[in-house]
Amino acid sequence: MTELSDELLVAYVDGQLARKQTRAVEKVLDQDDVLAARVDALKHAHARLEAAFEAILAGEEVDVSAASAPVEEGLVVPWRVVKIALAGLGIAAALALAVVGYGWPLKLPNMLQTAPQAASMSGGWQAETARAQALLSRQSLEVGLESQANYDLVAFQLEHILGTNLKFPNLEAQGFRFVRAQVLRYGDQPLIQILYLGAKGAPLALYAKKGEGSDTLTPGRYGAINTVAWAEDGVSYLLAGEVEDTLLMRIATRIKLEPAPPLRTAPKPYTPVNSALDESR
Amino acid sequence: MLPRLKRFADILVGERDAGASLLGRALQAMLAEQYRYQRGTALDVWAFGEVYRHWLHELRSAADPVAQAKIDETRFGALFHAEQDGYVDAPVIAFLRHLPAQQRLTLLLVYGEGFDHRDAGRVLDVSADTIAARLIRISATLADRLSDRPPAQAAAIVEPLYPEGLGGSP
Repeated sequence: MTELSDELLVAYVDGQLARKQTRAVEKVLDQDDVLAARVDALKHAHARLEAAFEAILAGEEVDVSAASAPVEEGLVVPWRVVKIALAGLGIAAALALAVVGYGWPLKLPNMLQTAPQAASMSGGWQAETARAQALLSRQSLEVGLESQANYDLVAFQLEHILGTNLKFPNLEAQGFRFVRAQVLRYGDQPLIQILYLGAKGAPLALYAKKGEGSDTLTPGRYGAINTVAWAEDGVSYLLAGEVEDTLLMRIATRIKLEPAPPLRTAPKPYTPVNSALDESR
Repeated sequence: MLPRLKRFADILVGERDAGASLLGRALQAMLAEQYRYQRGTALDVWAFGEVYRHWLHELRSAADPVAQAKIDETRFGALFHAEQDGYVDAPVIAFLRHLPAQQRLTLLLVYGEGFDHRDAGRVLDVSADTIAARLIRISATLADRLSDRPPAQAAAIVEPLYPEGLGGSP
């Protein structure tokens, strides 16, 4: 018996092989009954899967007819027309037809039920902050006047202002370089904003303010801005940016997993004595 | 396209009502955020992807995501429309029910929708290679089950830490 892996056989059955490879496999199958039987079994499995999926679709189309026909008196939109509309019109018109004009989905039970566990961030400082984030552009950082080259000094100042340990992550491994940090004000409380830039696009920001909350990473979205919020060690964080939600969640996870730093001490100012002491260590 | 989207949502959550509910929320989100649609993207690829992302987003926010992903046998079976003689392919339905949602969707997109591996990968946010790898694993397993061939030997043998009768004490 010739040894052909399932990988090759599945690719053959799915029509994923190049013509030359297909011919080679067919040649082997002509001479090897065991492999031919294996290919038949794979084809049989695929055919039954296709039939099973067709059976679901048949049920959906029955549901569609049942749900739409009696209700739309005087405004009967045949399914074929909807399909043509979906193919021919733009995305807005197509989806509008789907939701409003055709009416089917909204008439099915539970169609408009809201997700019970979905993240709700309709108010609070996270919502306001994310809205403010939308006003930041790439240029607002590129023309920044401040020089914040001393990372330790910036971290120390922020922690001093916040009055607690603060995560000040380095996101270079994720493709975002630190550009600037500043302190905003939310009511009477300081709100830290740490800004990063990727290779392109709008800035990514990590916001932090003193406060408790759920330590679970909770995604949210405000227009084009995706967010992930969580709290730990008495600090409430919000990571926000026009970044794909999965990437944002990965970055937030990395920040959350990072151990909290010890409370920083003030970096020593440069003097010849300090410099000599450092060198002698 | 709606019945196809509905089938996608049903297979994803494993039942009709929850599928309809998910699709409704996803359609509303799509309407609200239609600017995210990029010209040149196939409408169905985009729409399937949006439904999947919406589900993923809700699952991440769930208090117990594992419980959310569990599906009921009867409700899952009810998704499949019986033929005129009442026939339903019970072994295939049982096989699909035990697969994780992403693997069920991989099968649906490739064998039900006829998508190529790249488009299926776009919908599920994975590479075409991942789709191919999933298909090999699932197809081979299903073919084995349907043809009563003994399953391939596992690469590692999993044994219970404590043999039965020892009451879990070391």
